[in-house]
Amino acid sequence: MSAKKDEETGLGSYYNNKTTILQEARVFNESPISPRKCRALLTRIVYLLYLGETFSAQEATTLFFGTTKLFQHKDSALRQMVYLSIKELANTAEDIIMVTSSIQKDTQPNLEVIYRPNAIRALCRIIDAIAPSMVQAVERFYKTAIVDKSPSISSAALVSAYHLFPVSRDVIKRWVNEAQEAVNAKATSSFFSGSSSSNYLGFSASAPPSPGYQAVPSTSFITQYHALGLLYLIRQQDRMAVTKMIQQLGGGKSGAGTTLKNPMALCMLIRYAAKVLDEDPNVQKQMLELLEGWLRHKSDMVNYEAARVICEMKNVTPQQLIRPVAVLQLFLSSTKPTLKFASIRTLSALALTQPAAVSNCNLDMENLITDSNRSIATYAITTLLKTGNEASVDRLMKQISGFMSEISDEFKVIVVDAIRSLCLKFPAKQALMLGFLAGVLRDEGGYDFKRAVVEAIFDMIKFIEDCKEAALGHLCEFIEDCEFTKLSVRILHLLGIEGPKTPQPTKYIRYIYNRVVLENAIVRAAAVSSLAKFGVNVVDVAVKRSIGVLLSRCLDDSDDEVRDRATMYLRVMKEPPLAETYVKDESVFSLAALESKLVAYVKDADASNQPFDTTSLPKISREQARQESARPSALETIHTLVPQKSAQSAYAKQLQAVPELASYGPVLNSSAKPIPLTESETEYVVSCVKHIFKEHIVFQFNVSNTLPDTLLERTSVIMQPSGDAGLTEDSIIPIPLSVQPNHPGILYVSFTRDKPEEYATASFQCTLKFISKEVDPSSGEPEEDGYEDEYQLEEVELGGGGDYIVPTYVTFASEWEKMKGAANATETFALSAMESIKAACDSIIEILNMEALGGTEIPSSTAVHTLNLAGLVVGGVGKVLVRARMTFVRGQGVTLELGVRAEKEEACNLVIAAIAG
Amino acid sequence: MFLFSALYSFFSRLFFSKTAEITIVGLQASGKTSFVNVIGSGQWSEDVVPTVAFNLRRVRQGNVTLKVWDVAGQPKFRNMWDRYCRGVDAIVFVVDSHDKDTLPIAKFELHSLLDCAPLNGVPLLVLGNKNDLPGHASIGELIHALDLDKIHNRPVSCYSCSMKSQHNLDIVMKWLSSRAS
Repeated sequence: MSAKKDEETGLGSYYNNKTTILQEARVFNESPISPRKCRALLTRIVYLLYLGETFSAQEATTLFFGTTKLFQHKDSALRQMVYLSIKELANTAEDIIMVTSSIQKDTQPNLEVIYRPNAIRALCRIIDAIAPSMVQAVERFYKTAIVDKSPSISSAALVSAYHLFPVSRDVIKRWVNEAQEAVNAKATSSFFSGSSSSNYLGFSASAPPSPGYQAVPSTSFITQYHALGLLYLIRQQDRMAVTKMIQQLGGGKSGAGTTLKNPMALCMLIRYAAKVLDEDPNVQKQMLELLEGWLRHKSDMVNYEAARVICEMKNVTPQQLIRPVAVLQLFLSSTKPTLKFASIRTLSALALTQPAAVSNCNLDMENLITDSNRSIATYAITTLLKTGNEASVDRLMKQISGFMSEISDEFKVIVVDAIRSLCLKFPAKQALMLGFLAGVLRDEGGYDFKRAVVEAIFDMIKFIEDCKEAALGHLCEFIEDCEFTKLSVRILHLLGIEGPKTPQPTKYIRYIYNRVVLENAIVRAAAVSSLAKFGVNVVDVAVKRSIGVLLSRCLDDSDDEVRDRATMYLRVMKEPPLAETYVKDESVFSLAALESKLVAYVKDADASNQPFDTTSLPKISREQARQESARPSALETIHTLVPQKSAQSAYAKQLQAVPELASYGPVLNSSAKPIPLTESETEYVVSCVKHIFKEHIVFQFNVSNTLPDTLLERTSVIMQPSGDAGLTEDSIIPIPLSVQPNHPGILYVSFTRDKPEEYATASFQCTLKFISKEVDPSSGEPEEDGYEDEYQLEEVELGGGGDYIVPTYVTFASEWEKMKGAANATETFALSAMESIKAACDSIIEILNMEALGGTEIPSSTAVHTLNLAGLVVGGVGKVLVRARMTFVRGQGVTLELGVRAEKEEACNLVIAAIAG
Repeated sequence: MFLFSALYSFFSRLFFSKTAEITIVGLQASGKTSFVNVIGSGQWSEDVVPTVAFNLRRVRQGNVTLKVWDVAGQPKFRNMWDRYCRGVDAIVFVVDSHDKDTLPIAKFELHSLLDCAPLNGVPLLVLGNKNDLPGHASIGELIHALDLDKIHNRPVSCYSCSMKSQHNLDIVMKWLSSRAS
């Protein structure tokens, strides 16, 4: 062992020394050149670069010019090495233009040398680095090289084209026919490969071949892989073309008709198919047929790839999973570790969402538990934990604790995640799991691992009432000796929330105060906040008094944040009303809204004269905030809870980019979701987003054209308001360029609000106007003449809640009392069409776009119900509260008494009008 | 007899052959590539394609083998001259003696090349090419215009010659052969 180590370090220091290499680079200048020495040195340079060593521009340039001198030697092995180093050095060295002519000499088609492919590959790096315009100059050369009969040359040219694509998109796009030929042509060369090799033998008997160059017929068909990559790169923007390519190359239902012989190329094709499948549900059936055909392919790699893609498909049905899982099951008993690993990993991921489908493999996975490869064993156990039943848990847990110390942190995280979802699944086993988690918490481990364990315990505290005390105890012990500040802070926060609710809160206070004595400033500050929560929330007066003593000790702390917090909380504890706002308040600002408002505030130079206005921000409860920020835990992925993302800031950015709208000021509100104005399957798909500004209203229309081979030019939308809406149309900002198939364009129609203090409501007749032009499929150029066309869209409604009101969170009872003296209105409506209280609640919430508070959106009785709502009116008008009292009598529908209280009169009217309208 | 002469030439090559590595620099279109062509194959041609980067030629002259780096003279390549001049046995600087307007630039480039410390002591040969054309600069004018008399840290020679008429090329070759070791 020690000898091996010596050898390694010896080798390492020999190779790793950049300075020695730079000195030894003198051999490049020697005369005559020694190819052996130079090759060894080049190998060391390349080795260093591959290890991640970097050379400065000057060093690289010196080495680079050294290597250019080696072009004088004809030794082909040396020349290949020279090309390898040039490729690596070309990124950092200067003046690399010097080698262009030397390289081009080596790429000449009539040259039968082994290093011609190397030269081609090096050439693309040089072109890339010096002048993109040179691509055009070498276009003809590359086009012929791509269809060269030698696979290595063809591959080299294809790979070069792939690298040059970002530099010179348009030129490379013209090479699509050659690439297509490269994918197909090799099928015939395989047909001849047997005869050509005998031919080659006969040739060598009669005349000696040129030294160093042998046209070896390829059996791997790797060229197909490279050509496919290039074809996809060229076509990736065009989904139709990609789909067509997959169907062409996939070779029909059984997959037997495919021209692709290279398994890697097929794997690529499968991945492209997966991408198409993901984006376009319409082709699902055809793609699935292809994928199932590939499950029977003779290469393991292809089988695995197809199985994986089906397993990872969205909304996959158990029926569709049977065959891919069977394929993976077969691999589980394979002798190759890679196959075993790949399939168990896929199954493990699948077990998260479809444990039933995976449980068929339980027997095979049991065998893998004892596999000598720990990674495979870990996956096997965690998968079994997900698929297994309660009885097997004990045994598996014992197995896994046996080798927890032997696996890397990443796998430990996987294990912990599995256990986290397991204890939520089998709460009866919580004692065992908690014991295990507490045990691994004491083990050595990095931050990610410790965080996973702590979060798992957090989850248990949240969802399993029985384990709360024991879990808190374990966490207390953990922070006694925790090196991660972030985790300490989180645990202290949790102790502050959960601790006061336990029967013996004093137990935790000792642990928390220890932190104040022993830890760094950040943890001390968190501990002070946590203590204060005990002081406020615990009923026992003795505890309150001792907390007061502890906090006053913190007043002498060396850190000002800690002192500030202690001072504040001491005051808060003495004055209960303050405690309501600062400790017990359950509402927080919506972070996404706060962020976008702050960004707008910082960017606007005039705004800094006034303080930042927080009253216009919507509030949400802590529970919602947690849901928004929580990473999707194992549990949530099962229930597929999609967090609602705020699109607001994205819209704000888009609008700012339009010069005509820049003077309108900040956006007050944008509709949460685009409203579709057409059916989703029509020729033109249009959706509308409304943006409310202080004095303007802007309608944003997203227009996409689903017809292939047509362009829409001068697209605009004519909006006809019904009646007098109090809005004046100022401009239509049409889509500047043409709308190409599958590339949506955006246009805006702007209105001025005649009386900005009023809330204009109207509905608009909309018509899409455009000039339609056909595209010549062969040249890709649109025809000269188009014809004008119109397309009737559905009506756009302005008004009601969604446009002027955003939901916010308040403590309803106290706010309602507080606004007693403010503007209010009460009105009674008979909603005879409503079938139940529940239906009425849902539609009121939807119309008003306000937050239902205290769980009142779910009626407890079918006859009488009170719904409490809160919202924020845009434009700094402030809060509006709604109390909707409903009674339901069969046959008469719902009778609604709507009580509205708001900070301003107009807001009341707006709400009443929204329900009345 | 045949065997003997073959043996003789083999041994003479083994014992008496000499090699020299020289680098040819100078402004563009001064006749560097023509010079290499003429001493290499004796052929002169009116149109020579401007060199990109460099060419390497091997020239045999009697028992002397010359390895010749012919470096491009366009402005963007001039800062790379010194890289090809390091460790050579001689630097040949070719000037177009007929185009007197470019002499100040040639002087500047020559002196900034010679200021490179690694090139100290490397012998320099200045060729005033194109002396077949009327109105070319004489040796004296060249020495004066290029400040050759101010170079002290190396042997310097200056010949007027013509690649087209091959005038003076024999003494140039003699000078180069004497650098071989």
